[in-house]
Amino acid sequence: MLSEVESVPHGRVVAGSRLAELWRHRGTLRLLVQRDLTVKYQLSVLGYLWTLIEPLAIAVTYWFVFSVLYGEARPADGEPYVLFLVSGLFAWMWVSGVLGDATTALTAQRRLITTVRTPRELFPIGRVVAKFFEYLAALPVLVVVAVIYRAPFGPNLLLLPVAVALEMVLLIGLALLLSALNVMLRDVERFMRLLQRVLIYALPVVYPLSKVLDAPMPAWVKTVYQLNPLVGILELHHDAWLGGSHPPARLLATAVLGSVGFLVLGWVVFRALEPAVLKEL
Amino acid sequence: MGTPVIEADNLGIRFLKTRRRNLKVRDLFLHGGRRRPGRDEFWALRGASFTISAGEAVGVIGSNGTGKSTLLKLIAGVLIPDEGTIRTHERVAPLLELSGGFTNELTGRENVAMVGSLHGVGRAEMRDLLPQIFAFAGAPVSEAINLPIRHYSTGMRVRLGFAVMAHLRHPILLVDEVLAVGDTEFREKCYATIAERLSQGRTLVLVSHNESDLRRFCDRGIYINAGSVHVDGSIDDALERYREASPAG
Repeated sequence: MLSEVESVPHGRVVAGSRLAELWRHRGTLRLLVQRDLTVKYQLSVLGYLWTLIEPLAIAVTYWFVFSVLYGEARPADGEPYVLFLVSGLFAWMWVSGVLGDATTALTAQRRLITTVRTPRELFPIGRVVAKFFEYLAALPVLVVVAVIYRAPFGPNLLLLPVAVALEMVLLIGLALLLSALNVMLRDVERFMRLLQRVLIYALPVVYPLSKVLDAPMPAWVKTVYQLNPLVGILELHHDAWLGGSHPPARLLATAVLGSVGFLVLGWVVFRALEPAVLKEL
Repeated sequence: MGTPVIEADNLGIRFLKTRRRNLKVRDLFLHGGRRRPGRDEFWALRGASFTISAGEAVGVIGSNGTGKSTLLKLIAGVLIPDEGTIRTHERVAPLLELSGGFTNELTGRENVAMVGSLHGVGRAEMRDLLPQIFAFAGAPVSEAINLPIRHYSTGMRVRLGFAVMAHLRHPILLVDEVLAVGDTEFREKCYATIAERLSQGRTLVLVSHNESDLRRFCDRGIYINAGSVHVDGSIDDALERYREASPAG
């Protein structure tokens, strides 16, 4: 086991050795995730059912408002709206969960973090992984919906792991960034609660992307809209379940570059703030 | 004495006098959260250099707020120095804040497994240790093994916390006055455990104000005042200087 440890002023440790250290502590990651899930499911009577009830209740609400009342939100080509909605919504719930839970990953576990020498990155990453397992747990519902609406179970499903991988990378970056920032500025936490409610409307979840592209808005608004890496990721989720045309290369490139960019940014900020974060906790 | 296990070289760390309320977003990014050295910062510890060898028992002495606990946290690796280096060549069992790492919603058993694993205890080893840990923690705790920690009293948490740390097989023990907690009987048990660990050749760094504790365990003393090491010698020398510096007691 690791016994030789050196603490030096920050910035001198190379990224590679840090990655190796994270890998050595993967058992700890599993434990943190296990704990988060245990706590979540042990305390509630319905337990696992909550994982299904929550997104379903929201899906039904959106379906009622945007499909029944405002029938115009339907995706093109007669694609089933419910499947469109649910496939995007489940992916969004993962994002939303991370914005809420990962932001407090360091502040809420301060007493653990300040007594244990373990790579601090594990705490926010653990929250992202825990939310991923909740997404996985809800997948059977998505499969049922897809069967009901006769989704094309074909090679298009291969897009799903791509979408999930990109989303994971992006969310880990976000979690590192937000958790560290939140220690220094508690406003981050509040801002995220706002973002959780607003961001969904800036993404093709309840409406198809074509609605935005066809809307009477200046071109630069549409460009800014599409600069969000989550747009491409959500389109991948949609295409994985609905088939149809793949997202344009530009959107995919934005998703890949944006996700990797956020990971790098998140890690750099996390590492830079780490000494200050530990003093502040 | 044996081989060096803890090596501090010109170790220093500074804190903000004012809290983060004054921290601006701009500062975060321009200076990476480590602000320019300025009027609003002070060195909690600076220029500390020492080597502790395997099997030594070192007492760290000083008035409140002079950097003792900071030093312990630096050795434990839960603070990152701004200057100098601190090396530990063996695994460290920190008895800093005993009940801190517990999760309220989990049972005693789950918490012990969790904290133990965070300190590097493998699953198989943990299975062997669990009964010993609960036996050590004593009656009220060992009966509440499957009860969520939130139903534990403060005393029970501390007992369990100490029991976990005491059973880590890490060669370096860091103790921060936690011995003052718990009833007399349990405290005596803690003392006995520390003495036993010392006799097994482990290394101890003890932060305390209690002279008899210090004399009981330590042969070497480090006296810290205002963030710098004033005496690094025998425990008697260090205690004497400490008494001279604070005549009130």
